[in-house]
Amino acid sequence: MATKEIDQHQIIEGLKNHDPDTIDEFVHQFSRPLFGVILNYTKNPSDAEEILQDTLLKIIRKIETFREESDIWPWIKRIAVNNSIMWLRKYRAAREREIQIDDSLPQFTVDGQFINPPFAWSVDPEEVMLNRELGGELYDAIQALPFEYRIPLILRDIEGYSIKQISSLLGLKEPTTKTRIHRARLFVRERLAHYFEDAL
Amino acid sequence: MKSEVSCKECVDLLMDYIDRSLDVETYKRLDHHLQSCPPCIHFLKSYRKCSELAGQLRDQRVQIPAELESRLKSFLKAEILKPQAPGKH
Repeated sequence: MATKEIDQHQIIEGLKNHDPDTIDEFVHQFSRPLFGVILNYTKNPSDAEEILQDTLLKIIRKIETFREESDIWPWIKRIAVNNSIMWLRKYRAAREREIQIDDSLPQFTVDGQFINPPFAWSVDPEEVMLNRELGGELYDAIQALPFEYRIPLILRDIEGYSIKQISSLLGLKEPTTKTRIHRARLFVRERLAHYFEDAL
Repeated sequence: MKSEVSCKECVDLLMDYIDRSLDVETYKRLDHHLQSCPPCIHFLKSYRKCSELAGQLRDQRVQIPAELESRLKSFLKAEILKPQAPGKH
């Protein structure tokens, strides 16, 4: 980073005291990683900017409640995640074009065999590395998911939360959370399969 | 004991298979099916990889425009430093 970084204790104390220099340094240190978290939830940069601004303000206003013996980043990230989900719940109905996830899931015969057996990918999946192009394909596939599938998948596979934590965060029963994550993964796999099979 | 697992059942159970949350008998039946079904092996590998790749998205660095950072600093200082209305937090 271009400017000097101050430590966690200095940031917390400075924010509690509403010190302008600390606010500047806080924005400098945390806005980029927070923007990365928020962009997982919304593809629209102007929405992400609005959520980021609101998140930073909430963090400063809640800083008194932070228990300083722990690392501040998970606490900050949790506020960003909650804020993103809340914001999307509020505005998604008007903005999102819902797609039918079932159309992009594997199809089976009545006796449970693949109607279109999956091909081997053009490269062994175990050798696949995430590069910029593949990252873009993957990101687009996740963003194409309907909200109720997208959020559990992001929380599980990107953020690494447990099924129990996700269920609690979203107010879902654990089996429902698992089903949504699984179906979301099937959808994403199908989208990426096109990418890899087309390369054959 | 039910012995045969269909491809559909295999796909339905993949998440629990990867998370190792299946009971021993179901795990063995699924493992047996996977050993003899190349399409399901392809499917398992790519399903698992997609989940792993999504985890790597977390570490991708994003850029933030300098103008946005500057705007955020101004906004926050204006909000935080402005006098609070009585009773507001």
